[in-house]
Amino acid sequence: MNSRTLKYVLKRILLAIVTVWVVITVTFFVMHAVPGGPFMGEKAISAAAQASLEAKYGLDKPLIEQYFTYLKDIVTRFDFGPSLKQRGRMVIDIIADGMKTSAKLGVIAACLAALCGIPLGAVAALRRNKLIDKVIMVITTAFVSMPSFIMGSLLLVFFAIRLAVLPANGSTPAGLVLPIITLALYPMAYITRLTRSSMLDVLGQDYIRTAKAKGVSGVKIIFGHALKNSLIPVITYFGPMLAYIVTGSLVVEQIFAVPGIGRAFVSSITNRDYPMVMGTTIVLAVLIVVMNLLSDILYKLVDPRINLD
Amino acid sequence: MKKYLALVLALAMAFSLAACGGNSAPTAPAATQAVEEATGSSIAVCLASEPDTLDPALNSAVDGATMLVHLFSGLAKWEQNESGALVIVPDAAEELVEGVENEDGTVTYTYTLREGMKWSDGKDVTAADFAYAWQRAASVDLAADYGYMFEVIDGYDDVWAEEPVEGAALNVKAVDDRTLEVTLANAVSYWNELLAFPTYFPVREDVVSNESWATDPKTYVCNGAYTITGWDHNSLITLEKNPNYVDADEILMDQIQVYLSDDANNMLTNFKNGEWQLIDDVPTNEIAALKEAYPDEFVVAGQIGTYYVCWNVNEEILPAGSGLEGAEAENARAEIRNAISLLFDRNYIVEDIAQGGQVPASSFVAMGMTNPDGSQFYKTAGSSEEFDGYYNVSPDALEDNFAQCVEVLKKYYDYDEATGMFSGFPTLTYLYNTSEGHKAIGEYLQSALAGVGITMNLENQEWATFLNTRKNGDYSIARNGWLADYNDPICFLDMWTTASGNNDVQFGKGAHKDVAVYSLDLTDLGYDVAVENGTWADTYDVLIKTIKGCTDNEVRYELMHRAEDLLMSTGCICPLYFYTDIYMLDDSVSGFFSNPLGYKYFMYCTTAA
Repeated sequence: MNSRTLKYVLKRILLAIVTVWVVITVTFFVMHAVPGGPFMGEKAISAAAQASLEAKYGLDKPLIEQYFTYLKDIVTRFDFGPSLKQRGRMVIDIIADGMKTSAKLGVIAACLAALCGIPLGAVAALRRNKLIDKVIMVITTAFVSMPSFIMGSLLLVFFAIRLAVLPANGSTPAGLVLPIITLALYPMAYITRLTRSSMLDVLGQDYIRTAKAKGVSGVKIIFGHALKNSLIPVITYFGPMLAYIVTGSLVVEQIFAVPGIGRAFVSSITNRDYPMVMGTTIVLAVLIVVMNLLSDILYKLVDPRINLD
Repeated sequence: MKKYLALVLALAMAFSLAACGGNSAPTAPAATQAVEEATGSSIAVCLASEPDTLDPALNSAVDGATMLVHLFSGLAKWEQNESGALVIVPDAAEELVEGVENEDGTVTYTYTLREGMKWSDGKDVTAADFAYAWQRAASVDLAADYGYMFEVIDGYDDVWAEEPVEGAALNVKAVDDRTLEVTLANAVSYWNELLAFPTYFPVREDVVSNESWATDPKTYVCNGAYTITGWDHNSLITLEKNPNYVDADEILMDQIQVYLSDDANNMLTNFKNGEWQLIDDVPTNEIAALKEAYPDEFVVAGQIGTYYVCWNVNEEILPAGSGLEGAEAENARAEIRNAISLLFDRNYIVEDIAQGGQVPASSFVAMGMTNPDGSQFYKTAGSSEEFDGYYNVSPDALEDNFAQCVEVLKKYYDYDEATGMFSGFPTLTYLYNTSEGHKAIGEYLQSALAGVGITMNLENQEWATFLNTRKNGDYSIARNGWLADYNDPICFLDMWTTASGNNDVQFGKGAHKDVAVYSLDLTDLGYDVAVENGTWADTYDVLIKTIKGCTDNEVRYELMHRAEDLLMSTGCICPLYFYTDIYMLDDSVSGFFSNPLGYKYFMYCTTAA
């Protein structure tokens, strides 16, 4: 890594920190501006009880003071505070619990998407305009255009109810199969199309023709030259793909009742569980920022021709 | 060559698919195995999503209460007797004793705990554990949702006094290890029922001193029929029979798996494919089909609660330039609101919209509440001999009701005989929390009002926002509902006092504070209370206070009927139906029962293989 690359990386990291800080600040104040509070229920508690709880959790202090206390706790002690709704549990524990499931879901879905999408795209490119290419293109077009809540519901009806081969509930390991597939189909289709067009592009390049002319074997051309070079756009897609999977899991986790961070995030907002809203927002924001950062840096490492500035 | 390559790629793809599947597939048999390994019987149920808490003092949810009645043993419990009726019987107490009245009117109960009761970690259950648990649950420090459940106990008012009282505490103490003495401010008829309520369950001081004790099976110490052996947050809570439980021999179900999900569609799928034996919710749009397809497994049980529409008492509904002011105006508004209550076809609402076997309501105190003689409170509400409650909600009365409503409205608004429409009624906005079911009902109400020329817009808000708006009175007319915490009508009535946090109607607040149109005469019942044209605080608040201090049960119920009469006379409450509890129970399960508060009992269940 030369000094220019290092400078670039440092600059990006700094920018990432600023991004996360902006997210924290905006979320904090918007969240408190929303009407309703964490101690509100169909059956109201007395004003004295409410005051006692607010004092206990420091919600009686001025908002700006709460904001700085929160920032200080996060930065100095990495302390996300206690959940206001699930009394007795710390936000960090709830997030860690949800993260275990969501990460499993996301990583498997991402691997599945890449492992299926790349070969499919390559096959389609090599078999351009043949039947198999057309079939792949039609199917991937369908997957790309279908939102995950429709895909999820269809899979649910078919595999969990009609055939009854997989459970509908995502809380058991077997139950994760359907949400993973739901989550993987869109990026898989996208990667297939990306690989196909980029491979077609590469296959038309002069150096491929040169290799062919020099008598290099077909296998070596495809694996050694074409596929490798056509993967560059796919790598850059990993950042956005992760963002898709993270946000997509908000919906998919709801459909399949997967106990992940996406569901925790949604319910924390409904519950006005302030520390929980902040905690999940920060974790998701950091995740997306870091992934985009990595994919940008990776991009540079894979293709030295790319100019960072 | 190319063909060969394509084949290789295709194979690679197939392999990768198999590899991915392999990541998650093998775990499935492991899960099944775990269930099989547990010796004996097991039932899988789904009540709701992750409970907010399983601390008996903090819990205020029905699903949490269902788990708590399996985990803890209070002084009393609900049980199904041989004839199938639900009764309250002693549990940790040897017997449910009668109270002894003291000179100052307070009543003292002395309970003896059963011998041999143990906590799940093997330590003895003592009277001091009960005394500690009650003090804790009622404390300002804990500020529990249901802390007010202890308001009947002497000393509660001191605990919550605005000015701190030295040494304030509930009047409950452990005389020795097995004797608990508690003094109530005055006798209450539902005391035994309170003893069976989870908020009254014992906890041990050294256990709960760890603030997160109730979130982890390792630190969860209880004294009931089951213990928590597994808690996969947001996913599954496993309850297993507690070998230390004093009546362990009587418990038939060895293991209860409580799946955590709040998605009705998801619950139904799992019920249909046989994975879960009981689900506590079903998708509303499936109800009709389910009733048909599962006549024996689709259960509609009673639940003590009322679905109603509430008006903001301070909302101006008189036409501009009506010339009415003060008391006259309020009387007119009450008459109009009551007339509008007659417009709605409650049978249509329950049969075509809600579809869950709900019962059309014509009074606020819900079906299921009983008078001292055992008869239904709602059947003796109102003054009419011909029908129950405050208006006739039978399908035959619909036309009469409509005509009556039109007659009243004619007094205040311009009426066009040709079209049958009124003009001059200010536009209303119906506020409800976002939900398909509430929306459908809102649309029906809207169309019924449009039928007489009244425009009502619909506005939905997300739950927490909605609660806030309604509580602050920033609405004209809103959806509302109330479920009882115990079988006594007072829990439907004391919520409407001026200072109550649930006074969504805003009685006695804002402009209504000075409105003096209410009358109350209790001299015939031996009270020195006679108010003519008083304010809400002069009448209703006084009446509720009188009820709370009343020790004669007959008189007390008469007072409660009068309170409901006064409440309903305002027209601010428009009951639509009494709630039911819908659930689905697999027909292989026997020995199941649920109580009127919706708690479900699985300990005596058996499943046919």
